[in-house]
Amino acid sequence: MGTKICKENLQQIIKSVPMLSASASRLLQLTSNSDHQLLDVVNLVKTDANLTARVLKIVNSAAFGLINEITSIDRAISYLGERIVISIAIGDCAGKLFEKELSGYEAAGGDLWKHDLRTAIAAREIVVQTELEVSPDLAFTAGLLHDIGKSLISDYLQGTVPEAIELISSQDSLDYLEAEEKIIGVDHTLAGFELAQAWQLPEELAEVILYHHQPGNASEEFRLLVYAVHLGDNIAMLGGFGTGSDSMQYRLDPKYTDYITLSPKTLANVMLTVDMEFEKLEESLNNLGRETT
Amino acid sequence: MGQVILGVGDYGASKTPGDEVKTFALGSCVSVILLDPKTRTVGMAHIALPDSSINKVKAAEKPGYFADTAIPALLHEMTKFGCHKKGKGMVVKLCGGANVMDTNDTFQIGKRNALAIKKILWAYGMGAVAEDLGKNFSRTVSISVESGQVMLSSPGRPNWQL
Ligand SMILES: [Fe+2]
Ligand SMILES: [Fe+2]
Repeated sequence: MGTKICKENLQQIIKSVPMLSASASRLLQLTSNSDHQLLDVVNLVKTDANLTARVLKIVNSAAFGLINEITSIDRAISYLGERIVISIAIGDCAGKLFEKELSGYEAAGGDLWKHDLRTAIAAREIVVQTELEVSPDLAFTAGLLHDIGKSLISDYLQGTVPEAIELISSQDSLDYLEAEEKIIGVDHTLAGFELAQAWQLPEELAEVILYHHQPGNASEEFRLLVYAVHLGDNIAMLGGFGTGSDSMQYRLDPKYTDYITLSPKTLANVMLTVDMEFEKLEESLNNLGRETT
Repeated sequence: MGQVILGVGDYGASKTPGDEVKTFALGSCVSVILLDPKTRTVGMAHIALPDSSINKVKAAEKPGYFADTAIPALLHEMTKFGCHKKGKGMVVKLCGGANVMDTNDTFQIGKRNALAIKKILWAYGMGAVAEDLGKNFSRTVSISVESGQVMLSSPGRPNWQL
């Protein structure tokens, strides 16, 4: 039996989790704006000495196998790309949330981060390979953040896995989201949305967090982005990287076809790219969430 | 007790009693299990996609990733354990190939994987004696080399045997 979460509890939980640093928060604001330049990102990162050091450390880590050390932050950022810089910035402040063991979903520590990273890569690939009118890097960031609510409610879901699975197989609940709501009163999209408010995330990211399982409910201006993450999420789960008990216990919104044209062959290509990119990125970002020394 | 852990696109075999051949969290991927009673060898491939034509480079590097390259690669691997090169006498089991709920045709990757695998096995004159395919949950599979027993698990469900 899970413990019910009421509105006040949820605010309590949010108060206890890490806040975004000022630079991470400004980075998310900046990069969700479609007419920003990479130079703006560089200038912003330069204002944060810790972040600058982390970016340089990662670009020079063994994962990238560079022969010559990169010492300038400008070069490091143009080499890594915006999405990796954002991953580092988010990971630096909120790594604990992503690395947390989700015992309420029977998922190990790090599973959420892997699922989010794969969703991010897949959402970006969907945008690129189907030529959607969405920023590929924004789709990536949105994918990274979409399930953050799970780490807020997981503790309250402890011991509820068989009950949730049963609710869905008996069709009392439509999907795992409804089961969460039935058992503890709050689902992971709503919990994540509350955190998005506390973190003052840009509206489009907050909508992705709230509607990634019901993309049709997103406001029209952000719907394409939400659909891209919705598909990315499903691709991550099908690829064997869910977060434990809720994997594939959600519904694909077949209306995505009104927005995205995806052939089985393109989907296969996206899945293959996710596997290949994931290996590279996971290695380079593997110290996310660990204390920086 | 040793474990042979196979990731996505891996294949492998063992005939060491006490060993366990294992793969975690199959989603739409399909695990092909080959049991050879004659040599008491257990082989498995963790297949992600049906057709290698989409990326020949990847197929050369990781043949276990695609149905059409994985099965020949696994059979070849098993010849090192004294098994018949065309799988004569082997027992075949299949599991995985899951879907999300309300899937459409495009997202039936699991189904396409299973179909491609069955077609290739058929060409070798092989067919599965047991299968646990489809539905909407992830499966972790482990096979005991000693007994040949295939066990499946998924969060929130009691373990079951295939
Ligand atoms: Fe979700
Ligand atoms: Fe997700």
